[in-house]
Amino acid sequence: MNRIFVLGTLFASLGSASMFGQTDTNSLEDFSQYDNLGFAEAGAKRYCSPKIEGLSPAKLISLGYDFQGGYAVNAGDLFAADGTTLLAPSSSAQTSATYGMRAGFNIPVISKTNLVWQMGANYWNTNFRYAPDPSSATPNPLHQTLDEHGIRTAGVNTTLFKPLDSKQFLLFQGSADLSGTYGLGLMPMDYLKYSAALIYGRRPTEKKQWGLGVARTYRVGEINYIPVVLYNSTDARNKWGAEVLFPARAHVRRTINPRNMIFAGYELEGQSYRLWRNPASGFDLRDEDLEIRRGEARLRMVYEFSLKDFIWLSVQAGYRVNYRFDVDRLVDGAEIYRAFGLLRDDAYAQVNGLGNPLYFNVSLNLVSP
Amino acid sequence: MLRKFTLWAASALIAFASLNFELQEAPGDKLIGVWEPSNGRARVKIDRIGTKYYGRIVWLIEPNDPETGLPKTDKNNPDPALKNVPLKGYRMLKDFVYQADGTWSEGTIYDPLNGSTYNCVIKMKDKNTLDIRGYIGVQALGRTDVWKRLAVQPAKK
Repeated sequence: MNRIFVLGTLFASLGSASMFGQTDTNSLEDFSQYDNLGFAEAGAKRYCSPKIEGLSPAKLISLGYDFQGGYAVNAGDLFAADGTTLLAPSSSAQTSATYGMRAGFNIPVISKTNLVWQMGANYWNTNFRYAPDPSSATPNPLHQTLDEHGIRTAGVNTTLFKPLDSKQFLLFQGSADLSGTYGLGLMPMDYLKYSAALIYGRRPTEKKQWGLGVARTYRVGEINYIPVVLYNSTDARNKWGAEVLFPARAHVRRTINPRNMIFAGYELEGQSYRLWRNPASGFDLRDEDLEIRRGEARLRMVYEFSLKDFIWLSVQAGYRVNYRFDVDRLVDGAEIYRAFGLLRDDAYAQVNGLGNPLYFNVSLNLVSP
Repeated sequence: MLRKFTLWAASALIAFASLNFELQEAPGDKLIGVWEPSNGRARVKIDRIGTKYYGRIVWLIEPNDPETGLPKTDKNNPDPALKNVPLKGYRMLKDFVYQADGTWSEGTIYDPLNGSTYNCVIKMKDKNTLDIRGYIGVQALGRTDVWKRLAVQPAKK
């Protein structure tokens, strides 16, 4: 009796037994029946997607820590607006470490086939630890400001990807950042810095995309308008690839598997930081329109891997090469656009030099589907 | 004897009811069909099994692995036991339940390109267009892909 009942139950469940398997692969199924299919909707179009196959995953949320080893900070003479009155003499000091937290998040707002729009925000904090304390031995406002306040950037950004058809696209990236020696509560909105890039691109295959465009950028510290080149590719075996947005960054990618990737390359980092100092402890620079033009290249190796599912750890180490850390005085509050000396050749209020230390960066990331 | 027959009849009735349930059209069955993700690299056939909806890969633009020349398998699956399962026939959409608000949810979507499984909700924008949103925990942390319904194309004259 029991046997009959069991057989009956088995029979009853046959109809839904296949749901427990991973595949419905049936040796009798003729998959060629799906070859001759087209869109059911007349006039429907295919659009290219923002990603290519094999590209490293986008980071939705990132929380990281950046550390640079010790190096010399050679602060130059700081002159007043007249160009001749010396406000502070040059002096050298040594940092033992430069470090800080870096956080960012990006949220897709619109994800359609014909439009992808993403919004994000970021906060980078950089503290300078001097050894010894520069306040008495080296009376230069650059050292004292960096030592006491550090520099930080808080900003918002947006990315728009507009495919034109299955092969062509437009990419727009824009950001607005507040950067300076201020605490967040003191940062005046007047000093917002805007960056943007517009790129026309093509995606000839699922494993390659390239583009050309223009950018307004502070990557080398001061404002510039430059051409940019986008190039992302993955080889046929999904082992090697390139992820390039020249000149901002360029990396060669080695994919161990889709959850383990190694990169070698560089990134340019930079921004203009509003310089301010608390008059209670020394120089009062509140009436001076001074900004640090920070630009640096990071030559690096990066290892990114999945810790668990969508939680990825990124570890990078390399060499931080200083390009510029000069202080500029704004003319009537306006920035000076030098175009690498082609348009103007105004002297900096203070010309500084930084040593080039080793650095490392570690971040925990939630990556996008 | 009568008791055995009664049990057998009951079992057969359950079996018939089960099969009949699958044959009966349900409100969510408008999802059934063959669909193409936005990247155009695969085609996915969605069926109903019992009360839930499942989608399996039935076509690949690149059916063979360029490294081996053999039909592609799920080599990126983190479970070693599944790495040799053929991608054709692979069930990448699982366990979707049609809801009163017109969506299909409670299911998951699997991405063979990276071996990850995401929570997923499906919305039908019109009879030929689906918004497939894969997400991590909450829908805000996700990405939507638009899938288009496919149909047999008339032979060209």
